[in-house]
Amino acid sequence: MTQSKGGTGLAEAEPTPEQRPTLARDKKDPTFDRSTRRLWPILAAPGTIWLIVLFVVPFYGIFAVAFGQVDFLFNTPIPAWNPLHWQFTLFGEVLHASVDGPFSGVWRRTFGYVFVSLVVCVAVGYPVAYYVARLAGRRRGLLLALILAPWWINYITRMLGWMTILDEKHGYLNSFLEHLGVIDQGVNWLGGYPGVVVLGLVYGYLPFFIVPLYASLDRIDQRLLEASRDLGVGAARTFWHITLPLSRMGLITALVITALPMAGDYYTNQLLSGSPKTNMIGNTIYYYLAQGPQKNVGACLVIQLSLVLLVFMAYYLLLTQRASKEAGR
Amino acid sequence: MSSLTAVDAANAAEAFQTRPRRLTPWRNPWRRPWFLSSITWLYIIWSLVPVAVAVQFSFNAGRSRSFWQGFSFRWYWQDPYSSLVSDKSLQLALRNSLVLGILTVLVSVPIGVLLALGLTRWRSKASAVSNGISLVPLVTPEIVLGSALFLVFTTLFTRIPLGMQAMLLGHVTFSISFILVIVRSRLLSIGPEYEMAARDLGATSIQALRTILVPLLMPAIVASAAITFAGSLDDFVVSSFLYGNAQAITVPIKLYSAARAAPTPALNALATVLLIGSTLALLVAYLVLRGRRKGGSEQALSALASFE
Amino acid sequence: MTFHPKARRSPGQGLDRRGFLRGTLALSAGAVGLTSLAACGNGDGTPTFDTGAIANAPYPLARPNRPVKQPITSDNQPIADGLPPEKGGTFRMLNYADYINPAFVKAFEEKYGVQVQLTPFNNYDEMLAKLNQHNVYFDIVFPGPSVLGKMVYGKLLQPLNHTYLPHFKNVYPSYYSPWYDVDAQYTIPYTVYTTGIGYRRDRVDQVPENGYDLLWDPQFKGSAYILDDRGEAIGMSLLRNHITTDINTGNPDYVNQATNSLIELINLVNVKVGIQDYVFIPSGQATVHQAWSGDMLGALQYLPNGTSSSVLGYWAPDKDFVVGSDVISIPFSSKKPVLAHLLMDELMSPDGALTNFKWTGYQPPVQSITPEGLIQDGLIPENLTTAVIKSEDFARGLVFYEVSPAIDKLWQNAWSKFQAG
Repeated sequence: MTQSKGGTGLAEAEPTPEQRPTLARDKKDPTFDRSTRRLWPILAAPGTIWLIVLFVVPFYGIFAVAFGQVDFLFNTPIPAWNPLHWQFTLFGEVLHASVDGPFSGVWRRTFGYVFVSLVVCVAVGYPVAYYVARLAGRRRGLLLALILAPWWINYITRMLGWMTILDEKHGYLNSFLEHLGVIDQGVNWLGGYPGVVVLGLVYGYLPFFIVPLYASLDRIDQRLLEASRDLGVGAARTFWHITLPLSRMGLITALVITALPMAGDYYTNQLLSGSPKTNMIGNTIYYYLAQGPQKNVGACLVIQLSLVLLVFMAYYLLLTQRASKEAGR
Repeated sequence: MSSLTAVDAANAAEAFQTRPRRLTPWRNPWRRPWFLSSITWLYIIWSLVPVAVAVQFSFNAGRSRSFWQGFSFRWYWQDPYSSLVSDKSLQLALRNSLVLGILTVLVSVPIGVLLALGLTRWRSKASAVSNGISLVPLVTPEIVLGSALFLVFTTLFTRIPLGMQAMLLGHVTFSISFILVIVRSRLLSIGPEYEMAARDLGATSIQALRTILVPLLMPAIVASAAITFAGSLDDFVVSSFLYGNAQAITVPIKLYSAARAAPTPALNALATVLLIGSTLALLVAYLVLRGRRKGGSEQALSALASFE
Repeated sequence: MTFHPKARRSPGQGLDRRGFLRGTLALSAGAVGLTSLAACGNGDGTPTFDTGAIANAPYPLARPNRPVKQPITSDNQPIADGLPPEKGGTFRMLNYADYINPAFVKAFEEKYGVQVQLTPFNNYDEMLAKLNQHNVYFDIVFPGPSVLGKMVYGKLLQPLNHTYLPHFKNVYPSYYSPWYDVDAQYTIPYTVYTTGIGYRRDRVDQVPENGYDLLWDPQFKGSAYILDDRGEAIGMSLLRNHITTDINTGNPDYVNQATNSLIELINLVNVKVGIQDYVFIPSGQATVHQAWSGDMLGALQYLPNGTSSSVLGYWAPDKDFVVGSDVISIPFSSKKPVLAHLLMDELMSPDGALTNFKWTGYQPPVQSITPEGLIQDGLIPENLTTAVIKSEDFARGLVFYEVSPAIDKLWQNAWSKFQAG
């Protein structure tokens, strides 16, 4: 006996499942329909094919060059596309040079700069992101626009400005400090100082750091924080126990988005310092690869850099996959 | 042992926690957050002052880039040899950057939007692979991407010469991931209901996409186009590996190589013009986004800032 | 007592599978170990990556006392006589930055209706990398004797047709058939120069007897530069430290010592690397800068308003100084070879050579321009007469010549070690 809904007593009010037309809402998922199921892969195909041809293959190309040969005359690489022909002697030597030999200093220096820069980024960027996301009130739009501004201002332009400010004879910083009487004559800020390079890295990459952090801080429900305060938890502990864990995803994204390109940076220190004293691994890679002496050594170094960063990249990708799975339902 | 029992201790603790406190400045949760506020404004000033200085010196009457000698348009059009108008290499760089930016947007936005649509709805193991591939460029350092493309264009895809073509392919490659992330987050927040409603009313999938979903996605599409354009104009590393020779030099490369050599304020002028160009593009995007919905200015900015 | 199963196998019974595996492992471990030892190479760890560099080049390596006639193959012949100059389009020049007078270039552009486009390089490594790219062509290139053999062998250059070069007879007779290119088949000489130290006379009280020591002086911290050229930098270190006067040495120990001395500079004076000495010394950004002699003369026009030319100084040793010459050649892929010939010819004409010299500061080896004549005409200020090269200097100077790929690699790796800081 068919159940009737709402007690109207009409026996045919509710059709049987077999008789009902297949409404999309019943399936809860518009992709369930067989005819559309093929549509999505077709839509995704151009992008996927593009990325395979122009991202995955070049990445494989690095391996092919690193484990391949070079022409003795001009050191043009002869890549070994077949993995069976790969030779690892050169990679072993470069690895040895990186761990124990002349390149170890550069690696250490690179990680040191990145670490210090990240610390400064967190110290400066978190408060700024927090303020703009939660406390800015009416000014939020303006502040957001100003924070976003460096995203579209050319990186080199921003560094050009610093080169002007830090100039030894006429730069504003030296004039300012001389005016205050702090120094007697101009300091040569651009003379090859790690502090200046770290400052440049922080300056360059802070905007990339703030934005994902802002996005995730923005999403924290204000009521959670209010509830915490209502329960008598102080401001500091609320921050530590509520805000910080909720913004964890954003913070990790921010750290990854900032640290990864920073580790491969080679132009900031060339503009602000120019001395081998502050050279990072990106400079070494650029020397071997783009200036041309031994491209396969450069390729080996690129692989090493990728391996080191891979740990962080993989962790980040796992977290985003998990988060998007949770959010995607 | 003292006569203090556990209950006494608990009472004392509670009394301590809830003792009446004066609403001193640092305990008032609704005080003006002057500390954070000043940090933020200081940061913004610190962030934008160098740009202002760079723009300022583009109007320097003298040859120095750090010694102000008066206001003039010398480096824009007056100087007979080195100004923007007389130095053809600067104009070439500007032209290359703009053309490359526009082409990158035209190629990458459709691909990226389709990819986002497909990946969000596709449910299978293959989609997870595709998803992974699409996100990796976001976290790849540019030097890795630049060197990979350089090596592959010089050894495998040798029919594509280094220069504008190679740079276009490189720029589109890293732009696709950005577009994917932006559009997808918007798609997820839209949800499947509109599509389902359209399908219920008899539309096919493609019709539903075209007439319902894409218009709904417009803010995200516009935002991603703006970001792609700005990103392409700003790109340095990938371009510096792929530009080949002076014919295809872009503004960042020109600025960088000239800044390390014998820079004149004409560089600052070039940078200022580029700045105006990207600002205009962003402004157009912002206005388009804001115009589409009331009170959308903040939403517009959020769309531009959306990052998952 | 029962014997352990392993002990029961007596030696010499033949390899079982485990023994074979163990042996192979030991062998490969040994091989890896040996290669790691080889990788270490020199005791203090200059990288000597085994990328198959060969010790003997398959092309002749020219020496001043062993001149070489570069081969001309049947598939690489000079262009025919009497062709008209190509019109229109871009004329692509591959050259150092600021190494040719822009006014001269502009006049050339207007005369032949082309647009000249310059792609700059900082050193020969970069030049060769650019020239070797597929589908990228250049119409004229400015290389040097130390890479000529390699370029000819690699078919990067085309032979010249001297019927287009009537002014060639203007060059010094010793250049009619230079040691690196007998009969001048592929090159014409462009400039001659010495390498020394450029400095600010108003900031340097006294130049020591070994003038190279100026770079090692801590009082110039932050304003000391060496040239971004591994040959010049390591060569200077070899000379300064009196390690050897063979500036092309392939002795790893010598190269290492020289490199280590350069590495001292990093912390001692925060040394920087660049080739803009002609800008940095006049502007004051550099107090001491390893420099090419021509750059110091070219620096005259980069002096800011109000700075007198007397601040410029140049030192080169009296004995064991480095001389060099740059040449002009036509790439194999050139699309405008006739125009390239014509440009080269104009640079050797008396007017063209003088115009170019007045801007670049580099002496062209043409007969109409004599060092004495330059000084007499007042083109050289008194404090820079050391930057002028007299023809007898050439026989006495030390020259960079072409080395085998293995030695080249040694110097590349040493330089990368220096650059790693």
